[in-house]
Amino acid sequence: MGTFVQLFVDGLSTGSIYAALALALVLVNQSTGMVNFAQGGMAVLSAYIAWWLTTLGVPLIVAILISVAASFVMGALIERYLMRRFERGDPDTAIVVTIGLLTLITGLCGWLWTYNNKQFASLFSLDTVPFLGASISLRSIGTFAVILVMMLLLQALFLGTKLGLALRAVAINPQSAAFSGLPVGRLLMIGWGLAAVLGAVAGALVAPQLTLTPGMMDNALVYALAAVILGGLSSPFGVVIAAWLIGVLENLAAVYVPFIGYDLKVAVPFILIFVVLVVRPQGLFGRKSVVRV
Amino acid sequence: MRRTARNTLGAVAVASVVALALAGCARGGGGDNGDGNTATASPGITDTTLTIGITTPLSGATAGPGTCTVAGAKAYFGAKNAAGGIKFGDGKTREIKIDALDDGYDPQKAKANYDQLKDKVFAMGIGLGTPTNRAWREAAIADKVPQVLVETGDPIFSNKADSPWQLGFVPTYMNEGEAFGKLLAASGANHKVAVLSQNDDYGEGYVEGFKKGIEGASNITITKELTYEATDTSVDAQLTELAATDADVFFNAMSITPLVISALQKAQQLNWKPSWFLPSNTSSPKAILEPGKATAFPGIYSVAFSKAVASPAYADDEDVKTFLSDLKQYGDYQDVPAFPHCLWSYISGATLEQAFGKMTEPTRANFMEALRSISDFTAPLMLEGTSVNTTEDGQPAVSSVVVQKYNGKGYDTVQSFG
Repeated sequence: MGTFVQLFVDGLSTGSIYAALALALVLVNQSTGMVNFAQGGMAVLSAYIAWWLTTLGVPLIVAILISVAASFVMGALIERYLMRRFERGDPDTAIVVTIGLLTLITGLCGWLWTYNNKQFASLFSLDTVPFLGASISLRSIGTFAVILVMMLLLQALFLGTKLGLALRAVAINPQSAAFSGLPVGRLLMIGWGLAAVLGAVAGALVAPQLTLTPGMMDNALVYALAAVILGGLSSPFGVVIAAWLIGVLENLAAVYVPFIGYDLKVAVPFILIFVVLVVRPQGLFGRKSVVRV
Repeated sequence: MRRTARNTLGAVAVASVVALALAGCARGGGGDNGDGNTATASPGITDTTLTIGITTPLSGATAGPGTCTVAGAKAYFGAKNAAGGIKFGDGKTREIKIDALDDGYDPQKAKANYDQLKDKVFAMGIGLGTPTNRAWREAAIADKVPQVLVETGDPIFSNKADSPWQLGFVPTYMNEGEAFGKLLAASGANHKVAVLSQNDDYGEGYVEGFKKGIEGASNITITKELTYEATDTSVDAQLTELAATDADVFFNAMSITPLVISALQKAQQLNWKPSWFLPSNTSSPKAILEPGKATAFPGIYSVAFSKAVASPAYADDEDVKTFLSDLKQYGDYQDVPAFPHCLWSYISGATLEQAFGKMTEPTRANFMEALRSISDFTAPLMLEGTSVNTTEDGQPAVSSVVVQKYNGKGYDTVQSFG
């Protein structure tokens, strides 16, 4: 029992890391209609900014808040001066541009701060609390809670606010949105800025666990994309559930399904994506696109 | 516009599947066939200079240790060049130049780097990485280009029949694993061992060596053996399973720095406090044990053949002082290195100098002969009880290791377990 609970809880904790990044992906997609492969790199850059501030003696929480603010500006500037040139064109081109941006940012981080692992202090203590025969670290609980709050805020933004509605309108049809008087350019900048903010939070949550390196988010991004596909591009709620599902199922499958084991557990999100896309192409919680002829 | 959204979803799905597949493939090594070009002359050497080529990761996840390999070699030869150069066996004094390229731990790039350098340099080597060094091994054999003192514990590089133009530098994975096994078996007390290893040659070699070391010892039981993939973001599940076996010794053959740190933390959270055995390349006190809060465990053991330069115990050591100042001045590396690789390539430099001193003609073949005739050479920075010996077929230049125990700051050499 203890082992099962431990594996389950650890899965949720790992899943939360994927979820943080997945949320940022959803936000960019919901406000611009594209998928930002550079999201992981941007999160790493934000984490480096926070880390660099702490080395200058700035308290951790303040450093993270400054990096969050800086990330908003960075996201908005990237949209304004780079991505805008590709937003109306072929979505495949835009995706390739974001992949290029990822490579660029990773290289920049390595050049500025070397590729050596940096220790990033954790917001939450590593102390553990017992729970049904398992021990859960306060850091896992903290990460889990932050993701939960971020998910609810994002869900509320899209479904309950004018800004969220405007962001979605711009993503779905920028031309009609412009005709309706919406400031499309500014909204796109806000969308990217907010996504960078989510990335910054994700970076600060993940860096203590993975230790800060320019490539820190590379593997996590693969899982985050899996969560986005699985949960549905349009649903913050869906991608978080999907990310948790991937984390938990991966752990349980490795231990309890003998032919999967630790060698094949990387295939778990793969199989899940395949099954889900066959049955529900829009993802578990995504909205179905309807084309009126 | 709806179609755009669907296209995007499709593109993302395809890209994700590709990314996942790549993540899965990335863990394999890869052999590559050479182009069969035979070089009879020896490029890269003149009466006044000799150039050594290095391909090593200078970017990506392994860039930390990778940059260290170049810095250490540059530090050694930089200091020698400044002092007038290195005296060769043919009576000439030459300056040593280093031409280093980044392979990002990517086998394809390593092979491309080799192709780029092979006609410009006299010999190649010193770089780290098993899959990357394997990628150009066959081409180097076909072209008769020395591939020497490579930083990988893969035994293939030290087997003369398979690898006539190669020589490994660091102890093989088996050498290291066996040293742990022997120490544990010799303790006489009963021990239960949990094993976690990387699912590749690296992990397998360690476990094989360990099992050889405990062969016939009735006091050692292995409770459980698990593996992980080098691309995994977490090994929490494995630790949970291993902790449940209540083993008092944890043999952890891991090469991924962040995973070792998180493993140390996770074991503490699970309240599992065994003694640890850690490979030499992932047991750095500053980079791994301190952030992992390793003092919580009764003992962290590792093996080494070089001095722990970051340890206060060596602060006044002459070798260490010279090394650190050379590293700063000629290696362009300002920090005290967190990785042993800087030291290893510095020792490689000293080993190469020995070989150069024995060379009677400026050819690659003569160099290989000279390189294979160094016995019991104690290079700077080497620990007592270890030495460079290139005369034994099947063994790398350094095959002797001593087991060490973490003392909270650095390592002390130990004779017995416990």
